[in-house]
Amino acid sequence: MKKYQIIVIGGGHAGVEAALASARLGADTALITIGRDKIGRMSCNPSVGGLAKSHIVSEVDALGGEIGMNADHTGIHYRTLNTRKGPAVQATRIQCDKNAYPVRLQSLINATERLTVIDSLVTKLSIKRDKANGVILEDGSEINADAVILAAGTFLGGRIYIGQWHQDAGRIEDRSALELSRNLKDLGFRMARLKTGTPPRIHKDSLDYDKMEIQHGNVPPPLFSRQAKNKWDMFHVEQKAAGFPSRSAMFHVEHCGGIGVMPFLDEQLPCYLTHTTEQTHAIIRENLEQSALYGGMIGGTGVRYCPSIEDKIVKFPDRASHHVFIEPEGWDNCRIYPNGTSNSLPEEIQKEMIQSIPGMEHAEFMRPGYAIEYDFCDPVQLKHTLETKKVENLYFAGQVNGTTGYEEAAGQGFVAGVNAVMKLRGDDPFILGREEAYIGVLIDDLVTKGTEEPYRMFTSRAEFRLTLRQDNAPFRLLDKARRLGLVGVDVLDELKGIQVNVESEIDRLQKTFHAGASLAKMLRRPGIGYADLPDRNSSLSEEEMQLVETAVKYAGYIRREHDRIESVSTLDKQLLPKEIDYYDVPSLRRESREKLTRVQPENLGQAARISGVNPSDIAIISVYIKRLKGNKD
Amino acid sequence: MNYENDTIAAIATAPGEAGIAVVRISGNKSLSIADKFLASNKKPSQCKRPALLHGHFRFEDEEIDEVLVLVMPKPKSYTKEDIVEIQCHGGYLVSQRILRCLLAAGARMANPGEFTARAFLNGRLDLVQAEAVADLIHAQTERATKSAVEQLKGDLSQKLDLVYANIMDIISDLESGLDFSEEEAPPVPSVYIRNRMTVIQKEIEELISTHDEGTLLREGARVVISGKPNVGKSTLLNKLLDSERAIVSEIPGTTRDTIEERIVLDGFPIILTDTAGLRDTECQIEAEGIRRTMYQIDRANLHIYIIDASIGVTAEDKTFLEKQDPARSILVRNKVDLGTNKTSEIVKLDCIDAILVDKQGLTEIKDMLKAKLEMHLNVRDEPHSTISERHYKALTIVRCELKEADRLVREIVDGYEVLAVEHLRTAAETIGEILGKNYHQDLLDSVFSKFCIGK
Repeated sequence: MKKYQIIVIGGGHAGVEAALASARLGADTALITIGRDKIGRMSCNPSVGGLAKSHIVSEVDALGGEIGMNADHTGIHYRTLNTRKGPAVQATRIQCDKNAYPVRLQSLINATERLTVIDSLVTKLSIKRDKANGVILEDGSEINADAVILAAGTFLGGRIYIGQWHQDAGRIEDRSALELSRNLKDLGFRMARLKTGTPPRIHKDSLDYDKMEIQHGNVPPPLFSRQAKNKWDMFHVEQKAAGFPSRSAMFHVEHCGGIGVMPFLDEQLPCYLTHTTEQTHAIIRENLEQSALYGGMIGGTGVRYCPSIEDKIVKFPDRASHHVFIEPEGWDNCRIYPNGTSNSLPEEIQKEMIQSIPGMEHAEFMRPGYAIEYDFCDPVQLKHTLETKKVENLYFAGQVNGTTGYEEAAGQGFVAGVNAVMKLRGDDPFILGREEAYIGVLIDDLVTKGTEEPYRMFTSRAEFRLTLRQDNAPFRLLDKARRLGLVGVDVLDELKGIQVNVESEIDRLQKTFHAGASLAKMLRRPGIGYADLPDRNSSLSEEEMQLVETAVKYAGYIRREHDRIESVSTLDKQLLPKEIDYYDVPSLRRESREKLTRVQPENLGQAARISGVNPSDIAIISVYIKRLKGNKD
Repeated sequence: MNYENDTIAAIATAPGEAGIAVVRISGNKSLSIADKFLASNKKPSQCKRPALLHGHFRFEDEEIDEVLVLVMPKPKSYTKEDIVEIQCHGGYLVSQRILRCLLAAGARMANPGEFTARAFLNGRLDLVQAEAVADLIHAQTERATKSAVEQLKGDLSQKLDLVYANIMDIISDLESGLDFSEEEAPPVPSVYIRNRMTVIQKEIEELISTHDEGTLLREGARVVISGKPNVGKSTLLNKLLDSERAIVSEIPGTTRDTIEERIVLDGFPIILTDTAGLRDTECQIEAEGIRRTMYQIDRANLHIYIIDASIGVTAEDKTFLEKQDPARSILVRNKVDLGTNKTSEIVKLDCIDAILVDKQGLTEIKDMLKAKLEMHLNVRDEPHSTISERHYKALTIVRCELKEADRLVREIVDGYEVLAVEHLRTAAETIGEILGKNYHQDLLDSVFSKFCIGK
């Protein structure tokens, strides 16, 4: 049997990033999936990005991951969100073509060297002396590898529910990984249940769009990746000049690994907005006991901020109406995703409920909505590299760690893939700090605090939010990207050029005075933009002007964040020895002992961030480790 | 600061002769160390519950003293460690010998504040309560004691906790507008946020307003005596002190520098300052003295200005006195036995006639001082905790951050929410610092360095 360097279990958004990063970094990689035609599927909503999530996408893109590019190239509707709330929380969301999205990823994977796809179901991990050694497939065969990345999503012990009906499944019509889940528990991993859900799918021709509010995408389309942006700029101009019909213009353009893939669109599909009615709410209330969620069938914890419609009705009884977004699933796709109607009611009640929504009176079901309950591993069992503390060279990424969302999964998959390679190479681990990236916040939160409910990223989770913007993601991660080497040198050089232009312009603004005030000071005034300045640098691009404006307007706040970062980093630098037994540390409170033992923080800063561990505990530990070191010397 | 976990010992009572002295020992070995020296029916280490033992403290064969021993096994003690308190007869020598025995047996001399530091580190007190312990020890008056007791009970902590919670509440409302699109979650009406901002700012102002009072209670009120040369300033100081502290002579300008003395006046701690007389002078030393006088008057809580009654208020006096705050000033017309000049009536200050050499008018001066201090102190209020210098500094930061956040939520320019949250977050973190919720080694050191040894 062939031995690989790295095995990735699962071909979802975490698995794809892990496998691509690993293979692109030179490791001989196998991606094991239940079906190669299912790789990269959008199992739930047809969009990538959104508030805070788009920051993660931009970071993955900046470091050389694929999610941003893939969304850019397969989008049907592009939008900038939160435009009035400032650049720190502004976000991009791209509705994608659900058919094109996985196809592009699959072609990419086929064309990637050192990456092998294996169709099978993993039933067991092969572990030798507390080290990952490979996996065992359902036919009993063993595939060996030096490192294994588990990215099984909702498939571990997955079970779906529609009303009182239920079935073991990782996704509708797909098998659940029951044995692997049991195997993980046997290995001693702490696991618990979470649940999530998805709305029914409706035929697009059965809706009455006149009764809904139309929502157009933004033009020009906001994009995640620089490569896509450059291409769009270039071909947008060419195609106009040549008088090409817009939809086919980009069709031949993209050659990832030599394969021309999907059209890159100038034309966008609209989304629509409608709402639930009193009648909708009445139907749900009357049938609550038939819902899997409220009928007591599901015990797992649900997503608080992406609730099922049953949840919304029960938890917000005062609201007479909730929004329903009508999202097309693609150009040549007859399915509509009615965002906001996720539920686990019996199918006939779902129909009745959906048909009480304006414009959906004659809605034709393609597939009912359903709830899914699945196992996840308590992520405090992981290091910041996403390697498990228990088994060396075993990594967990994505929904198995309790997160929700393609973006959160992709970020983890990328980090796990990179770290698996770094460790085999004997290189330094690849860790992003909370002050460097949302990915850093995501992973630090998971491994430090764990999660009680499906973890979704929010900008409020990032304490250095004004520094970690989407617009500056490629610049703040430029050095890291260069060291990783997954982004083309031409792109990095272009970014460097922009960065230099922006910095020298900021410098000029500070030194140039006009009517007694520096230009920088003028720009800081509310309502004043770069274009309003009396003395501008006309050679700057639109993007550069925007970056200058944001940097100058936020300068005071960014300095404050910087000071905070400095004071935090001194604690982060004090490493906690692995062998520390918190029950040996005198005077610690019992609660702290338990929590510290559970999390096993890597440094004092991480220990301080554990909820329930207070400053005096940190003071005690700090003295204790100094004494430990003293004894050794 | 050194957060060791060994056993510490110190004399807990003030030095000097007294009826009894207490030597205190805390830590894992305190019971076994006490065992070694105590001849009694029951050994400290046999006590599973708090106990009072009677016995003899012996070193080798020599009996050092007959003692009462209070044993407090952990965690039911001040430090949450094993504590033994040995009550011996007062006086320097006995308690010192006992302490030396304990140190020789393996205890370490406690650093200032180390017992309280342990109480804090072991979760017995929060930081504000720990400071209250320091205040309680230093309290010179009943009023200050009551205030410190309130703080120790957690009164100030509770108020701060409440403000903290209120700020977090506003933050979460603003955040929900950032974390969700308007379609997902309707924004909290900004008037609702603005109203709560106003309430929080008022709460902070109330806490800050206790600062002056806190300083008065902790450090004493600064009362400055000033006036022209040779009107009897030093005499007033001496009479208030009831001693011949300052040199008194017929020669004008005898007091060249300021003299500070502490007195307690019916429960009010007072720092009394005698100053050089105010006059135009060629003498450099005297001129410097006068400059210092002006400085003292500026920073004083109360100001007693003395004139010679027989001379009355001169034009110079008048210009000076018109600048003084009537609420903080008292005019004393001394030497009324030498005749009175009616000119003093033109000054709108509370006025007392006196013959200070004979202590005449002294009671009236004391009563007037008290009345004016009471005005500053809200003494008619229930005893309440007051903020210290550290709290004051932190709260002024909080005030400043809240003001900025308030401006942002009122102006409502695009993107204001993110910035308002930044300020509110800093405000909340600063309050967390006061309560010791944030880890800050320097902060802990500076708080605990205020303690005397033994606490």
